[in-house]
Amino acid sequence: MEKNKDKYVSVFRKSFSLDENFDVEALSYQDIPSWDSVGHMSMIADLEEAFDIMLETEDIIDFGSFKKGIEILRKYNVEIE
Amino acid sequence: MKKPLNEKLFYENSRIMRIDCLKMGVKAGLSGAHYGGSFSVIEIMNYLYNHGTNINEDNIAKQCKDRVILSKGHGAMALYAAYKQIGILSDDDLLTFKLDKTNLYAHPSMNKELGIDFSSGSLGQGLSLGVGVAISLLRKEMPEVKVYVILGDGECNEGQIWEAAMLASQLKLNNLIVIVDYNHIQYDDFTANIINLEPFEKRWESFGWNAKRIDGHDFHEINAAFSLKSVKPYVIIADTIKGKGISFMENNHFWHHGILNKEQEIEAYNELGKKYE
Amino acid sequence: MNEINSKNIRLWSMLGTSGVFGVAAIDLVESDNDIIVMTSDLTYFSGLERFLKLYPTKYLNVGIAEQNMVGVAAGLSSEHFKPYLTSYSTFITARCTDQIRVNMGYMKQNIKLVGLGGGLAVGILGPTHMGVEDISIVRSIPNIIILSPADGLETYKCLMESRKINLPMYIRLTGQQNNPIVYNEDYDFEIGKNITLLDGNDIVIYSTGTMVSRALEVAKKMAQENISVKVIDVHTIKPIEIASIVENKNYKLIVSIEEHSVIGGLGSAISDILSQYTSHGKLLKLGFDDRFIHAGSYHHLLEEYGLDIKNIEYNIMKNYRESN
Repeated sequence: MEKNKDKYVSVFRKSFSLDENFDVEALSYQDIPSWDSVGHMSMIADLEEAFDIMLETEDIIDFGSFKKGIEILRKYNVEIE
Repeated sequence: MKKPLNEKLFYENSRIMRIDCLKMGVKAGLSGAHYGGSFSVIEIMNYLYNHGTNINEDNIAKQCKDRVILSKGHGAMALYAAYKQIGILSDDDLLTFKLDKTNLYAHPSMNKELGIDFSSGSLGQGLSLGVGVAISLLRKEMPEVKVYVILGDGECNEGQIWEAAMLASQLKLNNLIVIVDYNHIQYDDFTANIINLEPFEKRWESFGWNAKRIDGHDFHEINAAFSLKSVKPYVIIADTIKGKGISFMENNHFWHHGILNKEQEIEAYNELGKKYE
Repeated sequence: MNEINSKNIRLWSMLGTSGVFGVAAIDLVESDNDIIVMTSDLTYFSGLERFLKLYPTKYLNVGIAEQNMVGVAAGLSSEHFKPYLTSYSTFITARCTDQIRVNMGYMKQNIKLVGLGGGLAVGILGPTHMGVEDISIVRSIPNIIILSPADGLETYKCLMESRKINLPMYIRLTGQQNNPIVYNEDYDFEIGKNITLLDGNDIVIYSTGTMVSRALEVAKKMAQENISVKVIDVHTIKPIEIASIVENKNYKLIVSIEEHSVIGGLGSAISDILSQYTSHGKLLKLGFDDRFIHAGSYHHLLEEYGLDIKNIEYNIMKNYRESN
């Protein structure tokens, strides 16, 4: 079974069209062109589908980076490791 | 084929155009006609259609033709008279002016076959249209095709004119040429008494345009103005006389739109006949 | 092109209809080289940030000058380009009504107006920014198609369909981010054809824009009281589907719900048809009554105008009991 960490990284790579060499763990909102406001929502939607959750608006707004996202997903009982 | 560029012939064509406008106006009967603003723009329309543009009866509905937008739509009679000059309309066509079933309305109505690209009549809108067309021609890489927009002076009261002027300058539309038929009279009174446009050239220049002020009835000045090349959008401010050519109409704001009685009709024809040299 | 799948449906709901326009704008220019998107200095509000980065040459910002924007669009359209114009729904209709009338109505130039923040979505900015009577303005002008999509997916479909018709159009977008989803999956969409979302025998509700999801919620509540309600999505306000109105004219209670004035919008369009018949049910028009209200949050404003679920249900019940 796919580990949550791999799933999480894979969502980022797919949503933002990033290849294997890209260090997604250091990424924050607006660091790259594809993580603009639309890209952000799209990534959230991908995440929700991947983990079968639905994020609250406040959390969507707070989700400012890969690392922050890990914190936020804990609220939804998703442990990224 | 364009007519030869010759002063004497030019003024003779103007005379014919005025007679044609008179015929149309008389035919319109009790519904009257916009004599004042049609007569003032005759020399400009004469020059545009006979010399200044590439428009002819073969290309009238084609992409390669220069574009002319008569934003001051009430000058329609002058447009139709110009069309007759280049063979698009006949004498019989002109006599359908303002009839219930016609293509020749009081304000031009869009008719692609006749090369009338837009309907006009609601003042202040034509420069925006011209800007849109000018943008399009540059996008289509046809910078040699020019866009001429004819404005009235009173029309320049409308804010939309200045919105379009600002955008034209912002986008550096050097394929756009405006001619203001500055006859100094709008519907109610002299323009100076309603909204004084002076210093008119400076207003356009401050909006980023090149401006040239000319006598709008003088062949040489018109010819020189149209021969100028400009890297910016360009306005020719043509000082004209409202009702030019008919003495009792000249400079008289009551002839913005009027009905000729029989006496006036005869006098008008005589005056136009007499001016032939 | 974007696929219609559950992820995108969820995304489009989150983005809100302005955001969907931004997404659709990209698909539009990719599908048709002649499409140009125009704005009057509202790029970011219109969800066009990404569009601007990707297609700067397909974009034209005319500054805060709506009248000029429509005129320039007419010039472009006469040269066979296909402009899509966007601004707040009230500005893109009221500020340039004559330009719409002359260029789109009279000359039938192929211009698409996209009105954002229709209804009360930006009501926090006050009545100057609310879309109160925009539909009635455009509806009274001949020759302009008016679309009013119910949710994110329908917004996307309206925009994609619009490019197939070279006629003037006004597409009115309502709601905010996290717009309720009406359509959970792809469906057949045809301009001019209403969609019956729920069948029912006692009451028929014609709804449009964001009010479609409200109508469905109210219908479900009323079903619990054994009142069966038919809910219809009227995504095309003009030309309205006359046959659908006539087919349902004998329901004892006919309701129209719109995030718009009751004067001149969907309710009036229905009334225009019903009034041609000597017998038909009572028409209850729900929308903004004839007044402006002060700025407030979206949900507060909806309640003020009686367009929250509680008040919609109350008004329909009251009229239903009276008509029985």
